[in-house]
Amino acid sequence: MKALRPYILVLVLLAAWEIAAHSSLWSPLLFPSLERIGREFWLFVSRPEGWWQTWTSLYRAFGGFVLAAVAGVLLGMLMGRSAFVASLLDPLFSGTYAVPKLALFPIFIFVFGLGSLSKIVLIFLECLYPMTIITYHGARAVQPVLLWSAQNMGASRARTLLRVVFPATLPYVFAALRVALPVALIVAIITEMISSVDGLGYLVTYSLSSLKTDRMLALVVVISLLGLALDHALVALRNRLVYWEKLDTYCA
Amino acid sequence: MGVASRLARWGLLAAVLVLWQLAALHGLPDYALSPLEIAKHFFAALGTRELYQDAAASLLRALPGFAVGTALGVLLGLAAGIARSFDEMVSPLVFLTYPVPKIVMLPVFMLWFGIGDLSKVLIIALACFYPAFINAYYGARATRRILVWSARNMGASEAEIFRRVVLPGALPQIFAGMRVALALSFIVMFAAEMINARSGLGHLIREAENSLRFDLMYVSLLTIAILGYAGDRLLRFLRTYFLPWEEGHA
Repeated sequence: MKALRPYILVLVLLAAWEIAAHSSLWSPLLFPSLERIGREFWLFVSRPEGWWQTWTSLYRAFGGFVLAAVAGVLLGMLMGRSAFVASLLDPLFSGTYAVPKLALFPIFIFVFGLGSLSKIVLIFLECLYPMTIITYHGARAVQPVLLWSAQNMGASRARTLLRVVFPATLPYVFAALRVALPVALIVAIITEMISSVDGLGYLVTYSLSSLKTDRMLALVVVISLLGLALDHALVALRNRLVYWEKLDTYCA
Repeated sequence: MGVASRLARWGLLAAVLVLWQLAALHGLPDYALSPLEIAKHFFAALGTRELYQDAAASLLRALPGFAVGTALGVLLGLAAGIARSFDEMVSPLVFLTYPVPKIVMLPVFMLWFGIGDLSKVLIIALACFYPAFINAYYGARATRRILVWSARNMGASEAEIFRRVVLPGALPQIFAGMRVALALSFIVMFAAEMINARSGLGHLIREAENSLRFDLMYVSLLTIAILGYAGDRLLRFLRTYFLPWEEGHA
């Protein structure tokens, strides 16, 4: 019984859904049965068309995510190890942190066009904040003893950054990546829901407006699985690279 | 803080604005207004009623969603943090669905709760629930055992231990979660309004985009930026008020 506990809530929710679907209290449009969602899901994964749309969304999410990861780690490390850079950039980041960058999307559309580029730029911008800020905190938390010994042994500034600060900051970098990756996926889906002709977000709004609720829910399942798979892949990568600090669940 | 770093603090922002204004003198494309023009339009819009109506409509979606989502998240997160059996039941589902983009539920919510404000408030609440839950959970779990032991030793009841030891210890984490949730509530509010709404700042920016009213686009953008910034400041102020013993680090 104890081993079953983690699954109870999921099973209860699924059962409640199935009961609601068969109760005929609501139209099947509102609560399509699990079987119909499953069939739509199978239709989606068994056709190359679905994989293409998934790839489109992933390409946008990864494009912005990777750029933001590189830029954010560089900026964060520089801010963490240089008081001048920190005093230059910190007000900019903390002042605009709570501002929804999504509001810039309409302007990005005019600047970068309707295609993938405007979305990638927005994803880059949204991911840049957690990447930079968390890396910054990590770079500041490097033990001074390590820096002193590196300097003592005659390491140059660049070498210290690369060989001491970077590895010491790596756990924070992975924490930042784990915050940024779902953000990248979310923003990709949102921008596709707002304005696009392809990608998973577009398919969601398209199936809703053509009242294919079962297909829409199947897409929600696909997107959820994608988010989960990416997160697990990141944790696996982290546990390989940062082997000296184990982690199997969420880290704040 | 020295004069040099104070200068550096505002220097970059000022430099960007001046460069932007100089570039505008050379002639920018239609969609890029100069800072002075944006300020002019913004102050003109402050005199109209529409801006206040849209801002109010947006806030009436974001704030109830934020309140409901964080309240539920903090309560359940604390409960899962202190009660083992509840933790084993609830946490797996929460952590499993955490990396899922919650905004994809918006169309589903629109089906169930209509296309009005209710579906938007609920999707905002859903999005805010996660950071609130996770931070409260880890905050409560990180309570140092020795503190609990000494409280128990001195005869504190379980309720008292929760109120006087676990809760104050978890508060910094709870505030961190609320800060993330607040930023998230604005993002989701804006997204939901851009996808489907008949009022609000997200609706305003969409309408401005469709009618090529760039001035309105920037007015809406600036309003949302100011609201987001003000909300964050308010939360930070509350944090220093409730947590005077923590040094205020953003």
